[in-house]
Formats: sequence, structure tokens, C-alpha cells
Amino acid sequence: MKARELLIAISIALMVLLLAYVIELGGLGPLAPYALRDIARAYLEYVYNPWNVTASSMALEAVTAIVWDYRGLDTYFETSVLFVAIVGVATLYRGYRELRGLGGVGLSEIVKTSTRVLIPLILVAGASIAIHGHLTPGGGFQGGSFMAVLMVLLVVVFSLDYAFEKGLTSSRLLAIRSAGLVGILLTSVALLIAGVVAGAGAYVFQNMAREGSDLSMPSWFLDRPLGGTLFLFNVFESLAVVSGLTLTFIVLALRKEEVDQALATGEWCE
Amino acid sequence: MSDYFSLMFTVVLLSLVVNIGIALYGIFIKPSLVKKFIALTIFSDSINSFAIALGFRRVTGSYPGVAVLSDVPRGVEELRHFSTASVDPLPQALVLTAIVIGLAVYMFLTGLIMLYYRHYGTTRVDAARGGSRE
Repeated sequence: MKARELLIAISIALMVLLLAYVIELGGLGPLAPYALRDIARAYLEYVYNPWNVTASSMALEAVTAIVWDYRGLDTYFETSVLFVAIVGVATLYRGYRELRGLGGVGLSEIVKTSTRVLIPLILVAGASIAIHGHLTPGGGFQGGSFMAVLMVLLVVVFSLDYAFEKGLTSSRLLAIRSAGLVGILLTSVALLIAGVVAGAGAYVFQNMAREGSDLSMPSWFLDRPLGGTLFLFNVFESLAVVSGLTLTFIVLALRKEEVDQALATGEWCE
Repeated sequence: MSDYFSLMFTVVLLSLVVNIGIALYGIFIKPSLVKKFIALTIFSDSINSFAIALGFRRVTGSYPGVAVLSDVPRGVEELRHFSTASVDPLPQALVLTAIVIGLAVYMFLTGLIMLYYRHYGTTRVDAARGGSRE
């Protein structure tokens, strides 16, 4: 047993040394270079480019533009992975019941009052991160996780009973989660449907006008750039993330009486 | 001065590699599933920081900016200037994806570990090898 641990330690030390040697030799290219990679320069120069709309996403934030426009399909599957993980957690605990009146009282009155003050602040900050995802650093996922912190606070400070009373049941949260995913799906094919109806060419995950298709999502709202689909994607993604993370946390925070039935079936351990 | 910067940057990157090694050691050696889980989060955070650091670039005379246009550009020259003064946005986008997928994996693992604890009464991996089953 001791020899095995020693062997693991030596091989890991060797791995670290070799990786450090490769980095020192320049295996990852020049470190902290003055020049930018070509693909990065292309992203930066076309992220908001009204003089070349067919390569632009008309948003001010390069990271959101890459995540939801240039690599949109990638991010769609990433959202699906998150959804599958949530379904997986719910399946692990299948057969659980949400019981009311188990006598959860939460934390003291001081903590509850200060949390009540915090609730609107966290909601507004999270929503602004999500809705301004195409203008400032942030986006749907970041804003959604920001708001999910609020839900976790709610469950911890006010007890699970309170959350169930306020309507945070897992079936409702799963419904919101699925609605967010359906919204993302509809946004991604919106221009395709419009193209089929109007008899013009269009693509899946199309945002602005591209080569061979003149259709375009709105790029301005009043006096601000809107980024077309990016805004819708961010809003739906934040909905999906906040409900999905809250659902997982509620399932993980279930009391003993509620998961007893799930454990009693015993199929999963054989 | 420039060499000093290079040296410090390399030191930061190499310390992240050492961090990756220590986290891997924790994943392999620690018997408790919770400690393995913590080591796994440190492992993935180190790799994410490493990827972000690779996207860093230097700008002569000042610091590089974030990859966000602070105002609507009025000409192509402004965009050229933006691309010479901003960091690489691609690693940031990839790390964002990695964080989301990592979070999905962590949620599933947390559920599994909690079920394991409720069944065996411990989070040690050797409990499942028979003997101490309730």
C-alpha cells in the first residue's frame, strides 16, 4: 500500500516536471505575447462591425458573441449537458416526496430580516448581468447562477418548508427549466422559420444577415445595440440556469423523511 | 524589465501546473469521497486559470483591456485599436463552457456522494468493498 502511494507520488511529480519543461521550452507558444492570435483578432474586429455585417454579431461583448453566435451550437449542447445532469440528480433521488410541516423554522429573525433586504438587491444584480450580457461582461449563465445564490439563501435561511409554501416545488422548477430550453431552441430556429414562411434562405443559429440570406434579427433597441439573438439567448439561459440550479439544490437539501422511500427501493446499490 | 515580467508570468503558470499535480495526488490518494471531490474542483479550477492565463497578452506602454467594447465604435480604426489593446477572448469563452459542464458534473457527483453516505454511513471508498455494509 505504501509502495503504491509512493509510485503515484513519483509519477505525478514526473508529470509536473515534464509539463513544466514543455512549457518552458515554448510548447504552448510564446507566453504573454505582444501579438494576438489571428482568430482572436478576427473575433475582436468583427464583434461589432456595421461595415461588414455578414461576419459580425453586432454585440459589444466579444465573449458572449463567441459563446452564443460564433459557437452557438456548442453552447446549445453545453446547456443540454446541464439539463441532463439535473435530470440525472432527480433520477438518483427518484421516488422522493416533498413533505410539508416537518417543522423547519430556519435561522434567527436577524438573519431573516437581513436576507429580506438582500433579496431584491441580488435579483436586480443578477437580472442586470443576464440582460446586459451582450453589452457588459456577463451573460445568461453568470446572471442565472447569481440569482440561484438567492434561492439557496432562501432555502437555508427560511427552511425548505417555506420554499415549498412559496411555490418552489420541483415540478414547477422543472417546468421553468424546460421552458427556458424550449425558448433557446425556438430562438435558434426563429430566422429559419421566418425564412421558410417568407420563402427566403436562412440558417439555424443565424443572428445577423449572412451570405445567401438577407434576414436579420434586430440589432438595435431604442438607443442601444441589442445583439439580435444574443439578448434572447441570455434571457432564456438565465431562466433555465436559475430554475435548474434551484431544483438541484432543493433535491440535495431534502430531509431524511422525504428520501427514505427513494433509498428503500435499493435497486441502485445492487 | 520585460524579462522580469516574463519570468514572473512563467512562475505563475508553473505554479498552476504544480497545483494540478497536487490536486491529482489528492484525487488518487485520499480515501474520503468528499476530499476527492474537493481535489477534483481544485484540479479543474487550476486548469481553467491556466487556460485564462494563456489568453493573456502584453500591450506596449500600458495594460491590456477586457474583450468588451466600452462604446459603439464610430469607425474601422477604432476596431483596429480595440483589437491591438484587448486580451484574447477565445480562452475565456472556452473556459465559460468548461465551467458550466464542470458544474453539471459536480452537481451529479454531489448527489451520488450524498446517496453513498446515506447508504453506507461513511464517505470512505473502501466501505463499498464489502464488510461494513449495513
